[in-house]
Amino acid sequence: MRPRVLTNTYILPSVRLLKRDYTYNAPTQNYPSHVPTNLFQKLFLAAGSGIYSFFDPTRADLIATLGETTAFPFLMERLRDIMLSDPTGRRILRDRPRITSSSIHIDRLLDYPENTIGRTYAEWLKREGVSPDTRARVRYIDDEECAYVMQRYRECHDFYHAITGLPIIIEGEIALKMFEFANTMIPMTGIGAVLAPLRLKPKQRERLRTIYFPWAIKNGASSKPLINVYWEEILHQDVQDLRDELGIEKPPDLRELRKKRISRL
Amino acid sequence: MRFCTRRATLRVHGAGARLYRKYLVRPRFSSTLASESVRGGQSGTQKSATASSTYSKIASSLYDVVIVGGGISGLSLAAGLKSSQYTSNLKIALVEGMPLASAKSWSPDPDRYSNRVSSITPASQRYLSQIGVWDHVYSERVQPYDDMRVWDGVSGARIHFDAFHLGTEDGTIAYMTENLNLQHALLSHLNDSPSDPPVMILDNTKVEAITKGQNFDDLDLSSWPALKLSTGDTIMARLLIGADGVRSPVRAFANIESRGWDYNQHGLVASLDMEWDDRQRIAWQRFLPTGPIALLPMPDGKASLVWSTTPKYAAHLKSLSASAFCTLVNAAFRLGMVDLEYLMSRVDEEEIREDFEWRDARLPIEAEGQQFPIRVVEVQEGSRASFPLRMRHCDTYVAPRIALVGDAAHTTHPLAGQGLNLGQGDVASLLRVVEKACQQGSDIGDEVVLQEYWAERYPVNHMMLGVIDKLQKLYCTDFPPIVGIRTVGLEVVESLDWVKKMIMKQAAGA
Repeated sequence: MRPRVLTNTYILPSVRLLKRDYTYNAPTQNYPSHVPTNLFQKLFLAAGSGIYSFFDPTRADLIATLGETTAFPFLMERLRDIMLSDPTGRRILRDRPRITSSSIHIDRLLDYPENTIGRTYAEWLKREGVSPDTRARVRYIDDEECAYVMQRYRECHDFYHAITGLPIIIEGEIALKMFEFANTMIPMTGIGAVLAPLRLKPKQRERLRTIYFPWAIKNGASSKPLINVYWEEILHQDVQDLRDELGIEKPPDLRELRKKRISRL
Repeated sequence: MRFCTRRATLRVHGAGARLYRKYLVRPRFSSTLASESVRGGQSGTQKSATASSTYSKIASSLYDVVIVGGGISGLSLAAGLKSSQYTSNLKIALVEGMPLASAKSWSPDPDRYSNRVSSITPASQRYLSQIGVWDHVYSERVQPYDDMRVWDGVSGARIHFDAFHLGTEDGTIAYMTENLNLQHALLSHLNDSPSDPPVMILDNTKVEAITKGQNFDDLDLSSWPALKLSTGDTIMARLLIGADGVRSPVRAFANIESRGWDYNQHGLVASLDMEWDDRQRIAWQRFLPTGPIALLPMPDGKASLVWSTTPKYAAHLKSLSASAFCTLVNAAFRLGMVDLEYLMSRVDEEEIREDFEWRDARLPIEAEGQQFPIRVVEVQEGSRASFPLRMRHCDTYVAPRIALVGDAAHTTHPLAGQGLNLGQGDVASLLRVVEKACQQGSDIGDEVVLQEYWAERYPVNHMMLGVIDKLQKLYCTDFPPIVGIRTVGLEVVESLDWVKKMIMKQAAGA
């Protein structure tokens, strides 16, 4: 889908520059957690967080900063427009749901029937030892609605893990990042998927290149936009049904592949 | 004086009298037919009595000018010809297929406005006052505007014209007038101003066929177009004017090719009530990828809508309930393209309203009435109508004894509000040409005479049609590179006042 909207905020070499109206406009805070930044500050933050998180991929806060500072307005607007043109996506933008341990009762989800989305998600959280509360607030995206879109993407990230079954070990993250890039076009996911494998061993890179990247690009690009899934409402639904509905195939289990390879050695 | 002497001599002899009559109707002796029908009955002898009665029958069916079409162009041409001292004695007939009685006796309801509305440029208004028609217009139903705000729905780039760019004293960019108001004014003007001979208005009369005239005795009428009317009469014209709209029968008779294309858009019109009378005299237009939407001010917090859109959307908008329709009009001026497209796909009134209010609440309050118009709250019952939009231009406007004016000669997209004004320009130009011919004593139906009208109007109309056509094409896309180019272009124009002044001068018909 090509971008439908190109706002004049993005046409930089504008004639308005000729009008010599160089009044300094103090940045305004557009939402409570907003930290207004200019282009230079964004570039600085992006470079710093990018370099640091390359060497320490566990720093989720830096990855979040990288994600926000590299998110070009037109790409975020494109993602927002994808939400706005879908009835469910529109409802999400209107309701502005947040995924936290207080909005979703993880313990109760464990009692859900086998293979439901809620159960899969809760089991995945338990297996990987993470909590939905570890997600940082969006700070550097200037548009308030686009900031929510980024927040939503970030909070749904764990659901993507859950339905694809990809673990949070670095290889799984990279595979999922590539999948997300093909699906959402958020630049950080693409940067991560391309640069992070440089730190991996050749065997791991080989596995990504031959198995996971082809899967991620094919499924990410052809499936329906995952940002339009109202996860809170479909926790009781069968996970396979959802995969069929979205058009996602489940990738080979990464942990199994690793175990197999280790036992062969 | 020579004429008089000759006439007196001829009247004495019977045979000579016949000869005289034959000569009399010939154009070279008389440039008008005005007084001939009166003279027709005078005969001296028994022998010439039968010839005389046939002659009077023929003479009564001969006209100097026959105008087909009782629309604004046709009527203003008739009024114009009657208002000029050189052409007021022409014998004129106006044929209209529909009854004109309702337009003539139009007594408007102050709370309702017709959905057929036109923007009258100062040039057209000047011409209408010159010929004395503007005094008959219900002025309380005319809304002048002095501010025009146009913007790109995809990129948000804007252009703003006001009285400053027009450079005239009262600063009016155009007058919004109901077509019916003008038609009424023209008819009352023709009715009130006595003229000899009066304009023969044949309304409720269809033109069944147009043929070449036949020779009568040795009266050469073979080049005169003869119109067979639905009343059974046949009338012949020294000059036949086609003011009969897009599918002009006169043009078909003259075998003039009309070229152009359809826009695959429908123009949806409606009469609207605004939330309140904000006393701002602003014409708004937003270019959406499906076509421009314009909101034009009318008196007392009313407004007129012209929404050019796809035929599918036009049908959908007409089928919606009044309140859902108003919500979508508001959405089309305020919301983003994605929101609008989404709302267009919904049918439930309540859902459309709630969704619109959610998106609308996000807009800054200071933009209200500045960047987009205030809300529309009501659409007049039965005022929603749509028609296909097209561009057409004739190869020529003239043929021997034939001239085309207004929509018969050219049709354009309503985005610049120029349709009626180009027609008024034609009428003014044709009037000058006919006036000149009468002054010089040439035959007003002569193609050489009429060529001057065509030569004057064709380039003007062609340029306007071309510019409007290119604008329509430029704005009917959301392809990003094109949007980028047109946005930069619009910002350049917006920052250069002299370019804006030039545009306004052209649009005002100067």
